[in-house]
Amino acid sequence: MYLTRRSRWFGLLFLLPFLICFVLFWLLPLVYGIWMSLHDFRLSFGENGFVGLSNYRDLLFNETVHQRLFLATLTNTLWFMLYSVPLLVICSLLLALLIRHLPRRFKTFFRTIFFMSYSISVTAVSAIYLWLFATNGGFINRLLLDLHFINSPVNWTSDQPFAWVVIVIATVWWTVGFNMLLFLNALEEVDNTLYEAASLDGASPWQQFLRITLPTIRPITFFVLITTLIASFNLYGQTLLITRGGPEQSTTSLIMGINTTVFGQNQLGMGAAMALLMGFIMMIITGMQFFVSYMATKKEPVLAKSVTQKKTTSSATDITLKSDAEKERKIT
Amino acid sequence: MRTHKIFPLLLLTGLLLPLTGCGDGKNADGKIEIKFINGFTGGDGQYMTKIVKGFNASQKKYKLVQSQEKDHYTKFKSGKYDLVVIHEASLRTYQSDQMIQPVTDYMKQAKIKEDDFLTSGVDSAKVGNKMYALPLDIHPLTMFYNKNLVKSMPKTYADLAQLNEQLQKKDDHLYAFGLPSSGLTPFYLTVAAAQNDIQLERDGYLDFAQPAYADALMKYHDMVFVDQISPKKLGLDGEFQSFMKTASNNANQTAVSFTGPWYYSAVKDKYKDQLGIGPMPLLFKSKATTGNAHTIAVSSSVQDQEVKKGISSFFNYLYTPKHLANWAESGQTPSHKETLKLISEDPSRYALAAENQKQLKDYVRAPRVYQFDEQMRYMNEVVFAKLTSDRNLTKDALMTELKKATQHAQEIAQSK
Repeated sequence: MYLTRRSRWFGLLFLLPFLICFVLFWLLPLVYGIWMSLHDFRLSFGENGFVGLSNYRDLLFNETVHQRLFLATLTNTLWFMLYSVPLLVICSLLLALLIRHLPRRFKTFFRTIFFMSYSISVTAVSAIYLWLFATNGGFINRLLLDLHFINSPVNWTSDQPFAWVVIVIATVWWTVGFNMLLFLNALEEVDNTLYEAASLDGASPWQQFLRITLPTIRPITFFVLITTLIASFNLYGQTLLITRGGPEQSTTSLIMGINTTVFGQNQLGMGAAMALLMGFIMMIITGMQFFVSYMATKKEPVLAKSVTQKKTTSSATDITLKSDAEKERKIT
Repeated sequence: MRTHKIFPLLLLTGLLLPLTGCGDGKNADGKIEIKFINGFTGGDGQYMTKIVKGFNASQKKYKLVQSQEKDHYTKFKSGKYDLVVIHEASLRTYQSDQMIQPVTDYMKQAKIKEDDFLTSGVDSAKVGNKMYALPLDIHPLTMFYNKNLVKSMPKTYADLAQLNEQLQKKDDHLYAFGLPSSGLTPFYLTVAAAQNDIQLERDGYLDFAQPAYADALMKYHDMVFVDQISPKKLGLDGEFQSFMKTASNNANQTAVSFTGPWYYSAVKDKYKDQLGIGPMPLLFKSKATTGNAHTIAVSSSVQDQEVKKGISSFFNYLYTPKHLANWAESGQTPSHKETLKLISEDPSRYALAAENQKQLKDYVRAPRVYQFDEQMRYMNEVVFAKLTSDRNLTKDALMTELKKATQHAQEIAQSK
């Protein structure tokens, strides 16, 4: 299409708000962060000379107070990811499946109830869980003692692995609603005729879930996985307020470590290097997920692909489900 | 003007709007604003607010805009504030990092002299020979006790042990006092040094790896696991939380609490007439108490002469006994002599300040090292938690931890 000079300028004008925001809030901070990480930059009196890659070298190869903090907090954060991400994905999917099968008049009610926790601030969530899991006179301890499940109070926030248990429970309760909503929308998009056809062909609910639901919601599952992973990497408020990074710094997250480096130790340059390394590690993990997902899609049978494309006809389902049933019969 | 010309004009005007917020520091009333940040988010916060409101009401030209933030140091470092409350242990760090300026000229303008304060107060606000802040208060570790459970005020560790025995006979969920796992641990760590005459400061860093200090700290371990005077693993602010509990099958209650004066409002609300206040008992060898002190410093970014005059006016207002007495009412102990005199005249109104005033003669200030809090971090977050939670901790294992803590402190000191 031919664009006049005036309309080209007009188009650029429409792009301008985005461009300004992009440059101001993304590009400039990133470039500035990289620049700071290459300098001895102090929060109090600013730039103190170019140090090249020295901050990165100290973090990765030299045993310094910063390296110890970086590695310890990175390890803690990776543990948290390992504990929380599977739970956050599975629980939200289960909740979404439950709500999807509810009668229509209850759906909105329960969807709102489960999503409500997401709107609460981390301070309030932490206060609730601190009260629930307090060692001395907390609600959970009182309940467990009354039910004779334990003989003496459990030190929920000052002993491991209990501290992680509390942090993970609080995180799941707080954020599960958002993932659930995404899954719920994806589930609503699944073509009902596929389930009807599968039922007629004798597929069990489990088979239907495995062969129809999961392949169809694969893109949203991948999205949920990536966003949950990134959110877990940004763990801060819960550990700061519930365990204060304890016991013995075992729940001090990477963001808390960066915060200590920048605001406690005044080392903005080192903190910037830590933050950039953190971003790099997140990119690697996300890249690995993309790769695994790509490989899985490549190996996927014809059915899953066709279902994902939502162009599958019931006959195609018939054929594959029948062939699956035949295979199972042969095995038995 | 045609529509397509008006639209870009509006858009650009809109984009420029945020820039109009950058003014000359005057508010809508034409008053000069002085931005004041402090960390008084506890019970004492309302009393500082009362002082600020009083100052604002008395002024035609200046207005103090107060921010009370839990993490006020972070906000101060990353924001633009004129006045800041700094703990004495951190004052040298802020001076060294060029974030504050000397206050001698402000004092002159406000007609305040060093002699107006106790020596410990002046000491809390000085770096080298210069006043880098004005002393607000000294808050030593304070003893609160529950008169329902404590018949005579404990003065020594033996008294506490005896009290514990009596309480345990009554109910095995009743203890003499509680040691926290985290929170106020720097006070406990410095008290152990002060009451054993141990100097932690060495060449600008904190040297914890001293056998005598290990012995002193092992006494805390024994208080929990041998003498069982304190419940174990009380968690964050456990010394205060356990004091506020009622003994039951899943809650341990303590009769005495060694804590900060900022909890005064809370404990007073709970125990009313049954609240006892006393000086820190002798837990170790010699009588001493530690804690910290609040000082008010001026940001090095303040250059405007009018703002400087406004700050001097505030200092002049604050260091008037009837105004600073509000701060004493919150439980804090000002180091301003005239205000202390006023407190002495009415000890029932300023009960805690009057009581704490007595122990200022035994007050030992925290070591003056660069980034005191960071140098203490390993001790606070790891070592003290081990002392109150690891039954099998030995002196050798503790020495290993103290060496790690010292190495950490040394590296922080070198980062100056």
